[in-house]
Amino acid sequence: MAVDITIPPLSQTMDTVILVQWLKAVGDEVVNGEPLFVIETDKANLDVESPATGILRRIIAEPGTEVKVRSKIGVIASPDEIIPQGPGPKPTPEPKAAQPLPTATGPGGQPLPPEQRNRIFASPRARRLAQQEEVLLAEVTATGPQQMIVEQDVRAYLEARRAAPEVTPVARRVAEAVGLNLTTVVPARPGARITRADVEAALAKREAVAPAGIQWVDLSPTRRTIARRMAESQQAAAEVTLTREVDATELVHLRERILEELSERDRRPAYNDFLVSIVARQLKQHPYVNATTNGERIGLSEEVHVAVAVDTERGLVTPVVRNADQKGLLQLAQERAELVRRALDGSITPEELGGGTFTITNLGTLGVDAFTPIINPPQVAILGVGRIRSAPAVHKEELCVRQLMYLSLTFNHRFIDGAPAARFLADVVRLIEKPHLLWLDVSQSIP
Amino acid sequence: MAKMTIAEALRQALREEMRRDERVFCIGEDIGIEGGFGGAFTVTLGLSEEFGHDRILDTPISEIAIAGVAIGAAMAGMRPIADVQYGDFLFCMMDQLANQAAKMRYMSGGQVAVPLVMRAPVGATARGPQHAQSLEAFFTHIPGLKVVAPATAYDAKGLLKSAVRDDNPVIVFEHKLLYGSKGPRSERGALSPIGEVPEEEYLVPIGEGIVRREGKDVTIVAKLLTVYRALAAAEVLARQGIEVEVIDPRTLVPLDKELILASVRKTGRLVIVEEDNLTGGWAAEIAAIVADEAFMWLDAPIKRVSAPDVPPPFAPVLEREYVPDEEKIVAAVLSLF
Repeated sequence: MAVDITIPPLSQTMDTVILVQWLKAVGDEVVNGEPLFVIETDKANLDVESPATGILRRIIAEPGTEVKVRSKIGVIASPDEIIPQGPGPKPTPEPKAAQPLPTATGPGGQPLPPEQRNRIFASPRARRLAQQEEVLLAEVTATGPQQMIVEQDVRAYLEARRAAPEVTPVARRVAEAVGLNLTTVVPARPGARITRADVEAALAKREAVAPAGIQWVDLSPTRRTIARRMAESQQAAAEVTLTREVDATELVHLRERILEELSERDRRPAYNDFLVSIVARQLKQHPYVNATTNGERIGLSEEVHVAVAVDTERGLVTPVVRNADQKGLLQLAQERAELVRRALDGSITPEELGGGTFTITNLGTLGVDAFTPIINPPQVAILGVGRIRSAPAVHKEELCVRQLMYLSLTFNHRFIDGAPAARFLADVVRLIEKPHLLWLDVSQSIP
Repeated sequence: MAKMTIAEALRQALREEMRRDERVFCIGEDIGIEGGFGGAFTVTLGLSEEFGHDRILDTPISEIAIAGVAIGAAMAGMRPIADVQYGDFLFCMMDQLANQAAKMRYMSGGQVAVPLVMRAPVGATARGPQHAQSLEAFFTHIPGLKVVAPATAYDAKGLLKSAVRDDNPVIVFEHKLLYGSKGPRSERGALSPIGEVPEEEYLVPIGEGIVRREGKDVTIVAKLLTVYRALAAAEVLARQGIEVEVIDPRTLVPLDKELILASVRKTGRLVIVEEDNLTGGWAAEIAAIVADEAFMWLDAPIKRVSAPDVPPPFAPVLEREYVPDEEKIVAAVLSLF
């Protein structure tokens, strides 16, 4: 009995995921429950397990493509079973047309049914020639009657193709492997094909001026996710960063006194845990900062879930401490340490990475004073934490040595103005400088 | 070589065939009457003086009588050449042509041949719905009939002689505007396709078409008068850089299919011109053949330039709207580029 392989619904908010990789090839045996393919969600890359035991008979979706949740991407069946024919993978992915194709109407202006929107209209003669010359009609510009591709169009395309030098497959692979743009490569003789030797010659020229020893590394799936999300964040948000110096001396003293009281079994709270606690309390008072956006509207969250950036071998991940405003310091420390451990060993789940309403990122341990963090979408603000250092400062009208640090708040100016963002930052600073205020009911005591 | 109009070339063909074979005779209305025109369009003028009234046989105004006598004589071994003054009157003799003459050979298992020639003038010449139709499609649809449609003096003589010698009933369609523009019976607006016609014996074989003009961009298939309209359109189009190939099939049944297919394989575009009504027409049949057998060679839709689905109008102004002319052909061709 053939079993369809489908994309599991892993997220409430995502309709599509990226199919990163098949872990089995067509014809391989698969066992129910073993990892079969990898998908990339907005949160993480996940192995998806095989829904059945049998032979992977058909792969419908190719790696690197975006696939709909619950859509069928493959079939598992017994070796000799006849499996229903369906849309299979195309032998070569057709590139986008050189010009916008007629979408809503066909030749003569007749409306086209949706399933024919991408149909290419070409004369039989043009199709015949295209087939002979191995031309993809989607790349040909139509100039014929009723906007159809005619023989002349295919000939014009062939002419252009002849004008542009052909590239041998090996040359193309070599160029791709080293990231060389083929349009910069000149064939040895005019009109000849670009060969591997031509590519290597061009490469030698480039390397004569380029830094030596470049190693081209493929992006890991996690890296690609980060790259995409960072670019999206900067495109979609109007990001502004406010920076403020904080006197953390009181907080440092407080932490030292607390550590003195802890037993061996207790998790020692880090500065991050104090910051999560302080920020969470103030987020509760600043709903426009404790928010997410879909680009059109802003979602004010009643709950406070603070994401904390963690540097891992695979790249940056941001596990979420949930309901951080309601938890005591030791509980926060315990939970955050566990999340960091799981982030580092790769066992973190999408649930643990999702749902954050604000992010804290701390580069202080690496000696950074101040920086401009990038918002973690769909959130609207992020707090960057610098190192705590001993430095001369004016305290109570006297020059003395204090424990100073910088906080950098990046916010999306589309949804938050500068003054409210500054007020949020001021309230955070106030709790750091006067941690005893944590004992008060924050909502009433702090203006 | 002599220069002749189509009427003269047809007359010479009749004279030669009647001299060659005494079984050949002509039958029709007013074809040999003293002081007459020699038929409606002078084709038989003067023949009764040489061959007498026994072989140039005048009939009452009864197309049924003409068809009955001619078909019966053919079955009995004679080789009649019948003349309907206007092709429109073929409808009067439809049972005799379609049910008897066309089927006799099949029904008798080949024992009875009907070597009949039926000459029928066609074409819109300001004579209205009953004297100006083009009837080719009706007769190409009947199995057992051969149909020829000469457009030049050379072909008129050569095809008529072949028709006389053919053992099957042959309908010869002649266009009224092609007989010649001079003389008492010339039609208004007639062309004078005067051509070189050899004095000596020659035949144009039934079933062979001809390329009237060579070109590489579009094929126009036309017959009778529309050959000339197509050639005129080709001149106009040549000035716009479109090289038109004009094909005159000359014989409609059996059709020189290969000539048309070869041309379309070369040009990739096809326009068919006819004076007949559009629906279910001869042009439709040519289009169907090409769509069937040369589909992969087509670079554009097949276009028909035909008369609209109304009878030929009487009023000259309306008739000009009705007939396919040079302008309509040019427009049809341009729509393919």
